[in-house]
Amino acid sequence: MSERRPFHRPQPRHWWAHKPYLAYTVRELSGVAVAVYGAILLAGLICLWRGPEAYAVYRRILSSDAAFAVHLVLLAAMLWHVLTWFQILPKTMPKLILRGRPVPQRQVTAIALLVAMVCSAALLVVVVAIGVTS
Amino acid sequence: MSDATIPSKSIELRVLRYRPASDREPVLVSYRVAYSDDMSVLQALQSIKDTQDGSLSFRWSCRMAVCGSCGMMINGEPKLACNTFVRDLAPDAVIIEPLQNFPIERDLVVTVGDFVKKIESIYPYIIPKVAKPVEDGAHLQTPAQMAAYESFSDCINCMLCYAACPQFGANPDFIGPGAMALLQRYNGDSRDGGRQFRLDQIHGEDGVWACTAVGICSEVCPKQVDPANAVNQNKTNSALDFFLHYVQPRSQP
Amino acid sequence: MRPTILHHPAPKRSVAPVFWLLFGAGGMLSALFGPALIILTGFMLPHGWGVPANFSDFPHVLAFVRHPIGKLVVLAVIALFFWHGAERLFLTLKDMRAGPPLLLRLMTYGVAALLTLVTIALLLAIGF
Ligand code: SF4
Ligand code: FES
Repeated sequence: MSERRPFHRPQPRHWWAHKPYLAYTVRELSGVAVAVYGAILLAGLICLWRGPEAYAVYRRILSSDAAFAVHLVLLAAMLWHVLTWFQILPKTMPKLILRGRPVPQRQVTAIALLVAMVCSAALLVVVVAIGVTS
Repeated sequence: MSDATIPSKSIELRVLRYRPASDREPVLVSYRVAYSDDMSVLQALQSIKDTQDGSLSFRWSCRMAVCGSCGMMINGEPKLACNTFVRDLAPDAVIIEPLQNFPIERDLVVTVGDFVKKIESIYPYIIPKVAKPVEDGAHLQTPAQMAAYESFSDCINCMLCYAACPQFGANPDFIGPGAMALLQRYNGDSRDGGRQFRLDQIHGEDGVWACTAVGICSEVCPKQVDPANAVNQNKTNSALDFFLHYVQPRSQP
Repeated sequence: MRPTILHHPAPKRSVAPVFWLLFGAGGMLSALFGPALIILTGFMLPHGWGVPANFSDFPHVLAFVRHPIGKLVVLAVIALFFWHGAERLFLTLKDMRAGPPLLLRLMTYGVAALLTLVTIALLLAIGF
């Protein structure tokens, strides 16, 4: 009766592909799309350094339908990254106490998402404004 | 309902059993239990133990989601058996297993020793900022100061969060969500001065840095402790501490 | 210190905070400006939507990248986006047990470090 022989159950190897962890895996991979976009920019930088001809090729590729489709996918992944990023944000902060009560985490997420939208919109507005005035 | 206390329906429970003296590995054993609408899974297990197989082992004490003893996997989710009702699981068969990620001692009883050691390692008590003799009165705290840590003090050490944590599953030495909730309960307390001791315990690979912010720990917590918040806000604290310790080296405690 | 405290030895400090902060900086930068950047460089500039058609001409872009502020922007965006992706890819590959951790680190952090250096070198080679 008193024999001790603890049994260790192995962790399922593909836990990350199943509920409820799949959403986490997708979230992490949406962050990888951020790096893929960085690689596209780096490719542009390389072409810029190599000279006008290489840069012209880069521009031609970027204006192709395939590049359009790739950027649509990247944009979708980026938006998912933005949403999930700000969903975790309140987890990484101390509790916000306003008038003696903790501020709900959803509220923190909502405000941060709003700030992000303003930042992105402002960047586009600035670029368009520079274009109009130049 | 009129039949609230008169068992009229029955349900199949498939319980993962492991008897170290005779079983080489755990096996699912099926039981059929009559249940009423007010019956918890814990009561269903008790009825098996009372009327079908007295050797079935499981932990429980308070029967009211306070002691944290009765955590187990119910249909794959970490739950308190006393807080989960058979009526919500019926009519399908229910699979009951010991908590995921822990070694099984016997049937639904898992090894808790490592968890207790982790709790001990983070100084789970107030280390007063300033020594204050009893005759000088109580340490005062405003409601806002209390709100800063209060929810973390609701932890009942049920370890459901550990069963939900894949990083703990991959690395049993990871300090884990529950112990971090307790750490934050003290580090967040305005009367406490032991913050640095505790930060020193969690700055390693098995401390906060083993967490990848999966976040399911907070979803399964029966007490809304939000252990994921405790872990992840201490990544920020630990990262600050990482750079500060170059600037102002301290002697090890 | 206080005699009542039973001290526990502190474990070895991890260097993870360095990577975590790079990951966090990239995550925050991309969360705030990522969608606009993709819309800008993926749709508006290549197709001349909302901006003058010559906006992404070689001399224009070269002038931007030669400006010190332009250089900083390009470096921050490219390098931090790589560090962000590297951390997440590393953790996911580790979750998937795709290989020995050292190899996974080289494949992710290693690549991010290398490409950061490449970016810096290119920005310097392009000149001021
Ligand atoms: S944090 Fe919640 S789930 Fe984890 S041990 Fe405490 S009460 Fe249980
Ligand atoms: S028996 Fe105490 S929590 Fe379930």
